[in-house]
Amino acid sequence: MALLEVDGLTVEFPGIRALDAVCFDIRPGEVHALVGENGAGKSTLLKVLGGVHRPSSGEVRLAGAAYRPRRPADALAAGIAVIYQEFNLYPDLTVAENVFSGREPCSPVSRGIRYAEINRRTSELFAVLGVGIDPAATVGELTVSEQQLVEICKALSVDGRIIVMDEPTAALSADEVGQLLDVVRRLREEGRSVVYVSHRLDEVFALADRVTVLRDGRHVRTCDIAETDPDRLVRDMVGRDVESVFHRDEVRGGDVVLELTGVSAGRRLRDLSLVVRAGEVVGVGGIAGAGQPELSQLIFGALAADAGTMTLNGAPFSPRNPGDAMARGIGFLHEDRKAAGNLPDLSIRHNLTISVLHRVRGAITRLLAPARETEVFDDYRRRLDVKATGPDQLIGQLSGGNQQKVLLGRALAPGGRLLLLNEPTRGVDIGAKAEIHRLINQLTADGAAVLMVSSDLPELLGVSDRVYVMAGGEIVAHLTGDDRTEENVVACATTGRRVFSEELSTR
Amino acid sequence: MINAGRIWDTWGVTALLLLLLLCTPVIAPGFLDIENLQSVLRESAYVGIVAVGMTFAIASGAFDLSVGGQLALTSVVTLMAFNGGGTAAAVAAAITTGLLCGLVNAGLITQLRVPPFVATLGSLFVFRGIAYLLTQDGPKTLPYEQIEAPFAKIGSLDVAGLPVPFLIMVAVFGAGWVLLRRTAIGRRTLAYGSSPSAARFCGISDTTIRVFVFGLVGLTVGIAALTYITRVWTADGSAQDGFELKVIAAVVLGGTALKGGKGTLIGTFSAVFLVSVLNEVLVSRGVESAYQRIVLGCVLIVALTVDGLRTRFAAPGSFRRASRPTS
Ligand SMILES: Nc1ncnc2c1ncn2[C@@H]1O[C@H](COP(=O)(O)OP(=O)(O)OP(=O)(O)O)[C@@H](O)[C@H]1O
Ligand SMILES: [Mg+2]
Repeated sequence: MALLEVDGLTVEFPGIRALDAVCFDIRPGEVHALVGENGAGKSTLLKVLGGVHRPSSGEVRLAGAAYRPRRPADALAAGIAVIYQEFNLYPDLTVAENVFSGREPCSPVSRGIRYAEINRRTSELFAVLGVGIDPAATVGELTVSEQQLVEICKALSVDGRIIVMDEPTAALSADEVGQLLDVVRRLREEGRSVVYVSHRLDEVFALADRVTVLRDGRHVRTCDIAETDPDRLVRDMVGRDVESVFHRDEVRGGDVVLELTGVSAGRRLRDLSLVVRAGEVVGVGGIAGAGQPELSQLIFGALAADAGTMTLNGAPFSPRNPGDAMARGIGFLHEDRKAAGNLPDLSIRHNLTISVLHRVRGAITRLLAPARETEVFDDYRRRLDVKATGPDQLIGQLSGGNQQKVLLGRALAPGGRLLLLNEPTRGVDIGAKAEIHRLINQLTADGAAVLMVSSDLPELLGVSDRVYVMAGGEIVAHLTGDDRTEENVVACATTGRRVFSEELSTR
Repeated sequence: MINAGRIWDTWGVTALLLLLLLCTPVIAPGFLDIENLQSVLRESAYVGIVAVGMTFAIASGAFDLSVGGQLALTSVVTLMAFNGGGTAAAVAAAITTGLLCGLVNAGLITQLRVPPFVATLGSLFVFRGIAYLLTQDGPKTLPYEQIEAPFAKIGSLDVAGLPVPFLIMVAVFGAGWVLLRRTAIGRRTLAYGSSPSAARFCGISDTTIRVFVFGLVGLTVGIAALTYITRVWTADGSAQDGFELKVIAAVVLGGTALKGGKGTLIGTFSAVFLVSVLNEVLVSRGVESAYQRIVLGCVLIVALTVDGLRTRFAAPGSFRRASRPTS
């Protein structure tokens, strides 16, 4: 008997049918994976379950009774906890306050929040997740992966029958992913059901009992995980075969584009030295919070260095702000889409062209020319396969993966010779991911240099030619050639062990 | 793709204005007299001109509360300059004083890191205070013998039946529209208002935006001051008390979002006239000025409530903005 049944569910947005008569069910005590390309409608389905969207037609039944949540609180009351793809956190409140917001246990006398209790319970939940986040820390100061863990903790604190997770691992590092998978298994043992959305098929096969595939808002297939295999699943999702094995072209190291010598920034970055050459993809790995995004921000002029020297194309380089860095031909992609990427009130076209305004002006008037903007936008829309109803759609109305593609387009559009890409394929589906990797390959073949921060190990190792590993704000390893292995990266990142390939080979 | 919501954002107030105008023959006979219309156009000009600058400020996510003080100070200085050096001096004085006021605000915000709301609240008092100081021995006025001077006539002259202040206002709106929609700095202002942190990573400097926006407000005040003093011929520290609120009300009524990121000059334009036409209608019906204020306040509240309801109860499937996190 199914615990939750979705029957003929249709959700329409202006200009698009995000879900079209989708049927789907969840059994008690199962992990049900939900997969599909970017924009397939996964998040929309989950938002219906969570009471955020109301369906245009169709029905949802929970334990046999009609379930029509009118607001998120209704879903919680029915025992459905949802971890959304985009975070919903109050940046100025503490971790524990966020976890229990709206449900704070109060003292019966003073009606005050019982801080000791929420802090303790939050710590307990984090212990289950195997992470050490301070419940009294302010959420705005946490890294993206820590914020994701807070969201997970929030859902676990509800004690729901059904836990719904929308790409919970997109922002987590490898060891955190491992912990989360254990937690999901434990939830299943406790008899709860989990709906699990992910673009990482290895997770799906490691966890799920059953899997449902959506394509373009339609239900394609539901089956036991044993009845399918990754290739088959991808074919169901995309509707064709996908070449997912990535071939990185052989590179000839060109001129040095970027060189850092002994650069430090406060306590967050200490004594960093690295080199990036034209035509290379240089990866930066490490566990979350080790300073990888800060490193890229420092190079982009968003974080001030207080010691050391940088050179760009052989000339001294000390950007005072991102504008300086952009003027010197540096492109940048931030890892936090919601807080530092999206311009929520602007259309996707304007979101993309904001980095190339000087190139979309009319020849005589020097004013912005909408036709040119559309040209630039269409170009990237085609290359990155952005799924949207039109160039004037607001960026918040795109699916998560498609937002990511627009922001990647913004970073690439100026045609910079040095690209600082933080998590370039976060939340992007398999097909598009391969496409983005090919694009990076092509850019470097044309002589661009890429510094890529990624918490996705296969990506980090597969796409980059050399890998720097960071721990505690320092570079603890530099791996080239055959030393680039998952074991080496994980070992160096977690233990801070120092491995420098060049020293190994000279020894 | 037709998006009713976005069309309403830009054209809703305009539709209301047209509706009101269509009703005027019935509810306020005599309103459509040429003379009366001219006077409405003339009186709306200085609020309208400054509303252009204010639209930029609010679209960038900031208020400028000091425009009333700026207008008083600029008017006083301009009259002094005219009495001392004639038309050219007056125009130069109006523009520079307005710009300077704006740059003072920008300086407070970018250099001393005072939030715009507080900085301009403070400078409102300072500017008015200076205007009072300059007029301690009586308000500055246009001398009676200058009544025929071209400068003195800016405020009262008509061209092809249209009052000059109105024409200036139309020009300012036109220039503002181009600036907001068709130039890089205008686009960056919207981007900054939409998300300052994301804008920073697009290479947008907050100093540039603040200087641009507050400088622009000052500039529009300078232009408005010219139409204002040539209309009323006198100014002191108390000139146009409550001016800032009229301007902000028009911008907000027009559909520019208070939280920044969106700005519509078409809406602002219509809202300016919606307010003045409504006022005029009430006056012609002999409604007391106390009631006029109440009606205007209610219109503002109702307009914004309708707006809020629209986003909350839009068609099925729409995403209700999670004003509270969903937990
Ligand atoms: N608020 C909205 N307004 C208009 N269209 C929307 C809105 N939210 C989602 N959509 C559209 O609905 C479709 C499905 O989006 P959804 O977010 O469910 O995709 P998804 O499967 O979660 O993709 P991803 O893997 O990229 O997160 C997309 O085409 C998207 O543009
Ligand atoms: Mg999604």
